[in-house]
Amino acid sequence: MDERELIARRAAQELHDGELVNLGFGMPTQASNYLPEGVNLTFHSENGIFGVGPKPKTSESDADITNAGTEPVTLLPGAAIMDLCTSLGAMRRGTLDVTILGALEVDQLGNISNWAVNRNGLWWPGIGGAMDLTYGTKKVIACLAHADKKGNSKILKKVTLPKTGAKCVSTIITDKAVFDVGDNVLILRETAPGVTVEDIRAITEADFIVADDFHEMVL
Amino acid sequence: MMAKSKVMSINEALKPITSNATIMMGGFVGAGEPTCCIDWLVENEIKGITLIANEPGLSGFGKAKLYKHGLVKELIASHVGTTAESTEEYLKGNILIEQFYPMGTWAEKVRAGAMGLGGVLVPVGVGILDEEGLFPNLKEPKKVINVNGVDCFAEPALTAPFSIVKAWRADELGNLQYRYSSMNCNPIVAMAGEYTIAEVEEIVPVGTIPPECVGTAAPFVNAVVKGLSLEEHNKIYRDHWIKIGKLKPEV
Repeated sequence: MDERELIARRAAQELHDGELVNLGFGMPTQASNYLPEGVNLTFHSENGIFGVGPKPKTSESDADITNAGTEPVTLLPGAAIMDLCTSLGAMRRGTLDVTILGALEVDQLGNISNWAVNRNGLWWPGIGGAMDLTYGTKKVIACLAHADKKGNSKILKKVTLPKTGAKCVSTIITDKAVFDVGDNVLILRETAPGVTVEDIRAITEADFIVADDFHEMVL
Repeated sequence: MMAKSKVMSINEALKPITSNATIMMGGFVGAGEPTCCIDWLVENEIKGITLIANEPGLSGFGKAKLYKHGLVKELIASHVGTTAESTEEYLKGNILIEQFYPMGTWAEKVRAGAMGLGGVLVPVGVGILDEEGLFPNLKEPKKVINVNGVDCFAEPALTAPFSIVKAWRADELGNLQYRYSSMNCNPIVAMAGEYTIAEVEEIVPVGTIPPECVGTAAPFVNAVVKGLSLEEHNKIYRDHWIKIGKLKPEV
C-alpha cells in the first residue's frame, strides 16, 4: 500500500461516531474513504457548511454546492449553510471535535507548521483557515511523511518554519509511526507494519519514549 | 414602492472604478465570484488595484484573470497560493502582501468594517504572527491587548470604496438572495463597501424574495448587474470538474 493510503487508513481510526470533523486537503480528505464500521460523522467545510455529503453524480453537480477547494459536493439531510464569519467562528470557538490536517513540520511540543515555505525570500502560500482550525479544534491530528526526500526528519525538536499552531497537536500520524504529544516529548504508540522502534530512532529528531501499550499499526 | 431600479448595465455600474482603486470582492476559491464584473475590469485595463479578498481565487477563473493581466498591485487576504497566476505575480514581486491574516481574522475585519466598528479583538495567532521579522513590510507593529486575561490582536476594520459581490438573484430594489455555499463572504463584503455592485444570475420582481431570505438588504447595495445565468454557471463548473477529473464525463 502506498504511504498516502497508509496514513489515510490509520488517520480514519482516530475518528469516533458522532464527531464534528474538518478534514484538510490531500491525505486527510482520503481518511473519509476508510471510516471504521458504525462511525457516522458530520463534516464541516470551511467555506460554510455543516453536513457535507459525498461527491454528486455528474448530472447533479451544482455550481453553488462546493467544498473549500471548490470541488463538487452534496448536502446531507440536516445540512446547514452559514456565511464565512460563522464558519470561521465555529472553528475559532471550539465547536469542531477533531481535525486531521497535513503538516510540513511538527515538533515535540505539539507545534505544527504548514502555511509557509520561503520562495524568492517571500512566505508562500499563506494561512487560509489553518490557524483558526488549529487554535480552536478540540483534537488536532497532524499527518505527514516521516522524513523528507533526503531522509531528514520532519518530526523535530523544534519547528523551523513559521508556526500554524502552537502546542496544539494531540496525535501525529506518519507513514512509519503514530505518536501522541506528551509534555515536551513524543510518545510512540505504533509503528507501521515491518517498521521497528530502532528504525524510528534513526529517522526521528524529536525526543520520544515508547508507550507501555506500543504495538504495530492494525490496518 | 416606486423607488428607482438599481438594475443597470455592467458598464454603467462599474464606470466609477478607475485605476489604483481599492476593491473588495466576494467569493471563495472561485465559488460565488462576480466573473462578468471581473471581465469588465480586465477589458477596461483597471490597473494598480488593491484587492481585498478572502484568498486569490481559482486558477484560470474569475479573479485569476486580474493577476494574469498584471492588474493587482496589493492583496489583502489570508492566502496568495490558491491560483497559479497570483503565485507567479507574487513571487516576481509584482503583488505586495503586507501580512497574511488568518481567514477568520480577515472575515472579522471585513465584518467590523461592514458593521461600522473600529475593529475586532482576535486571539488567533498571538505569539506567532507578531514574531519579530516574520512580516518585514508591516506598516506598524501588530498591537496586542489583554482582555479578560486573553491576549488578542487589536485588528482594525476593513472597508473599501468599492465592493463587488455575486449573488443568486436580486430584485430591482437591490435585495440579494444567495444560493448554498456560494454565499461565503459575499454578505460581509457587500456591506463593507461604500459603493456596492452585485452581479446576479437572475433579476426578480420586488416581493419575490421572502424578507427573511434576504441575504443582503437593498440599502447596502448601489447597483445590480445581470451576469451569467445559473444554467450557464452549472455548465461552466461541471465542464471544469470533468476536465480536472473531479467528476466522470456524462455518458
